[in-house]
Amino acid sequence: MFHQTPLKTLAMALLAAGGVACALTTGFYGRELITEIAILAMLAIALDLVAGYGGMVSLCHGALYGAGAYAFAAATVLAGWGGGAGILAAVLAGGIAAWAVGAVTARTQGIFFIMATLAFGQMGYVTVFDARALGANDGLPGVPRLDLSAIGLDLGDSRSFALFCIALAVAAYAFAAALLRSGFGRTLVGIRANAARMRALGLPVWRYKAAAFGLSGAIAGLAGALAAQHTSFVSPGLLHWTVSGELLILVILGGLGTLVGAVLGAAALVLLKHQVSGFTDHWHLVVGVVLIAAVLAGGRGLYGGIEHWWTRRRMPAAPAEGGGA
Amino acid sequence: MTKLRISALGGAALAAVGLAAAPAAAEDYTVGMLLPYTGVYAALGEEIDQGFMLALELHGHEIPDHSVTVIREDDEVNPQVGLAKARKLVLEDEADVLVGIVSSAVLGAVRDFVHQSETPLIVANAGNDEATGERCSPFITRVSFSNSQVNRPMGQWMYDQGIRTVYTLAPDYAAGRQMMETFAAAFTAAGGTVIGQEYTPFQTTQDFGPYLTAAKAAAPDALYVFYAGGEAISFVKQYDSFGLKTEVPLYASGFLTSPLYVDAQGPAAEGVIGLLHYVPTIDTPENRAFVEAFRAANGRMPSEYAVQGYDAARMVIEAIKAGAADREELAEALRRVSFVGPRGPLEIDPATNNVVQNIYVFETVAGEEGLTQKILDVLEAERDPANGCELE
Amino acid sequence: MDAAFWIVQALNALQLSMLLFLLSVGLTIVFGLMHFINLAHGALYALGAFVAVSAAGFTGSTWAAFAAAPLAVATVGVLLYLLLIRRLRSAGPMNQVLVTFGLIFVFLDLFRMIWGDIALGLPEPEVLAGQTGLFGVVYPTYRLFIILLGLAVMAVLALVLARTPIGAMIRAGVDNDRMAACLGIDVDRLFFLVFCVGCALAGLAGAVAAPVLSVTTDMGTGILIPTLVVVVVGGLGSLKGAVAGSLLTGFVQTFGAVIAPQLAAIAIYAMLAAVLILRPAGLFPARA
Repeated sequence: MFHQTPLKTLAMALLAAGGVACALTTGFYGRELITEIAILAMLAIALDLVAGYGGMVSLCHGALYGAGAYAFAAATVLAGWGGGAGILAAVLAGGIAAWAVGAVTARTQGIFFIMATLAFGQMGYVTVFDARALGANDGLPGVPRLDLSAIGLDLGDSRSFALFCIALAVAAYAFAAALLRSGFGRTLVGIRANAARMRALGLPVWRYKAAAFGLSGAIAGLAGALAAQHTSFVSPGLLHWTVSGELLILVILGGLGTLVGAVLGAAALVLLKHQVSGFTDHWHLVVGVVLIAAVLAGGRGLYGGIEHWWTRRRMPAAPAEGGGA
Repeated sequence: MTKLRISALGGAALAAVGLAAAPAAAEDYTVGMLLPYTGVYAALGEEIDQGFMLALELHGHEIPDHSVTVIREDDEVNPQVGLAKARKLVLEDEADVLVGIVSSAVLGAVRDFVHQSETPLIVANAGNDEATGERCSPFITRVSFSNSQVNRPMGQWMYDQGIRTVYTLAPDYAAGRQMMETFAAAFTAAGGTVIGQEYTPFQTTQDFGPYLTAAKAAAPDALYVFYAGGEAISFVKQYDSFGLKTEVPLYASGFLTSPLYVDAQGPAAEGVIGLLHYVPTIDTPENRAFVEAFRAANGRMPSEYAVQGYDAARMVIEAIKAGAADREELAEALRRVSFVGPRGPLEIDPATNNVVQNIYVFETVAGEEGLTQKILDVLEAERDPANGCELE
Repeated sequence: MDAAFWIVQALNALQLSMLLFLLSVGLTIVFGLMHFINLAHGALYALGAFVAVSAAGFTGSTWAAFAAAPLAVATVGVLLYLLLIRRLRSAGPMNQVLVTFGLIFVFLDLFRMIWGDIALGLPEPEVLAGQTGLFGVVYPTYRLFIILLGLAVMAVLALVLARTPIGAMIRAGVDNDRMAACLGIDVDRLFFLVFCVGCALAGLAGAVAAPVLSVTTDMGTGILIPTLVVVVVGGLGSLKGAVAGSLLTGFVQTFGAVIAPQLAAIAIYAMLAAVLILRPAGLFPARA
């Protein structure tokens, strides 16, 4: 069950404020990193929505992200549409592809679901890799950014774009939280707990799962559209299963099934990798050790660890609190 | 996010080479080195880097009044990452010149940024023809090779050897297709016939058995292929183990039997004939000195990648010698550089900004210290057509 | 395309299937027994190949390398079990994913540090060089050796699982681990045993694959997906599933490349998706 606890609100507020502060004060590359984190956080929220609450651990979110990025790039570069239409195309591409995958894989569980999503994701990757109309493995260059000059925003400026991405990441969080608190979200959690019982209650389980997966895909597609605008370039690597794999890793690291953890995990992994690769080419080793250590230290994930520490600290004073998410 | 110390975030591996005791008129040039230091091409990135540093060491005395600082960034062979790192090197580190880029996809990604920001870029590997063809730029000079250069001449050459039918194999990605198409066009123009053409899934093919069996069944006069890295090793060994060596001779874009891989390929590589812009057995004083210095520094024979890094640094030094002080002057000077390097005379073609260089046809043979390269033919001053490039 | 062509292609498929079988059988039984997901299985395969290259360089014999690789990888398996995996038993599947993914990264960089970035090779044993005539076709002798080795391992495992007390215990454990534990079977010991045998087989697979392929730091990541495909297609926990999954994957991949080369990269994923949509728990799941 999802609860928007005060701690979660505080954590999200701090994360967003930190992001904004960095975007306003740092140099060019710092803003690039903040933008990367915001986009990745959005994608992580999409994955946590289905993996953490619906039990659908997906290995095709990289492909959905890529589908969004390519939809935006194709709409703007190839078809010559505006940025707004491009974003709509990206959201629809991610959403529809995800709904279809969710619908046909609804009967599979656990590792079988993971591998089925991997299969569809990789088929998408290979298709784009070979699609000459989409630039094949060279990708598509020259992706423009959304034109918001009507409301006085120049997204070509890296600071404005970073703030724009942070705002959309916060909106994605709010959307996911609202969805999980609705009747739909409670049903989703119920299906994860006992699909057979929900089915016995007469619930069309596959429809709920497909719908949830579709919504998650739509968020992933939006994140993809932002990524395409950020680098002004798309390439098939965006769809590869390793993107999905690393995404899953950072969601688990942050704390699966907490939403805030997804954001924390994205920030932690990007910054860790960046800091470590600054002084050694062997950053894989350090990140690997950190992942192992995170599990040995309790295995609650970053946010789970914070929550655990917070409740324990508050316990003696206010025993009635805690026990939340 | 309270912990961010963004000021420290820009920290990259720094290697300053103090080339002199900095007199008053000294200038410090910053080179942004964009190479894969991790991932499948890490070995190539390392070779290019070692070659570059060796040239700074051996030729740094030619610019006694100046110093060169190298800032390294890892492009992870990922176009998105490569573009982000290129922006960082130019906008944050204020690099005067960018050097590197192994993958053509990364080059395609950074091309527009480099062109628009007017930053000189010396390409030290990536060979896609477009970079010095229809998407050429006055700011991009290529010191390595173009895909055409290391494939096209083989069409006529093989025909002259009496080969009339060829079967081609290459990995299924842009560079693989471009290399095979260029070769096939030249071979067909010479009068030969390509009787079969197959592309293998890129970087996921481990078993070439099915393809080799089909190629053998087609019974061509020769096989012409391009593979690099781990695929090059697997391919050559499997070609031998299926007994094709006695029936169908193997010709290739010379990366297949690069000095980097021949030890792992072993006797299977003997007799393979390749076409490349550099082999370590070129018998000139410049190359002998280079090979000796590289072996002393790194304990192995240099490959074509090491030479590309070495010559990229020579270009930077030559441009500085010519008096270039800022990005615009550097870009201009780089286009006019010419010198004799380990691979022979080099110049930059003013029509395309691609290198004009000798191309070597070589056979891999058993030598005293394991496998070595026997040069069969030298095709001098190989120059690409303009391919739609309009620089002037 | 005559009959000889198709026989050679069938042998190619069989050779690939046997390599996949060596890799997947340990993984699937560990999975069935403990629901333990070891994503680092591919890294252990790569470790086997690297150890084989070094052992061959040291002793001058590829046979010695084939013996050293499974032993070394099994030893690493024991260490991993004692230091890490034992503690993860009750940590849940997501934490297992995190740790074993972390191990992939750690191994990747250890390989780079020890063996460098340049791809390595291993010569085949001299007696197995060249080709052999068989069914009217000429085929690489070394590939026939891989096929025979795979069949031999398959036969031994089938015998052990069907006819020995330890095999019966493993089958009981896969079928219902709690019930087996109630009956006095030490499921943890069984798990440890199966895990080590699985590691040894992965190491062996890496060593025997090395003369055919090249030995690179990323070879483990490359083989991970096909191995998981075999495990999932076959169904968790059964020898029969591993055999069926390997054969299906090997034949689809090989004949996909022959019949429709432009779709070769997609064939294995299309097969996986089709199997899972029709049979959501794989072809031969050990548990009903």
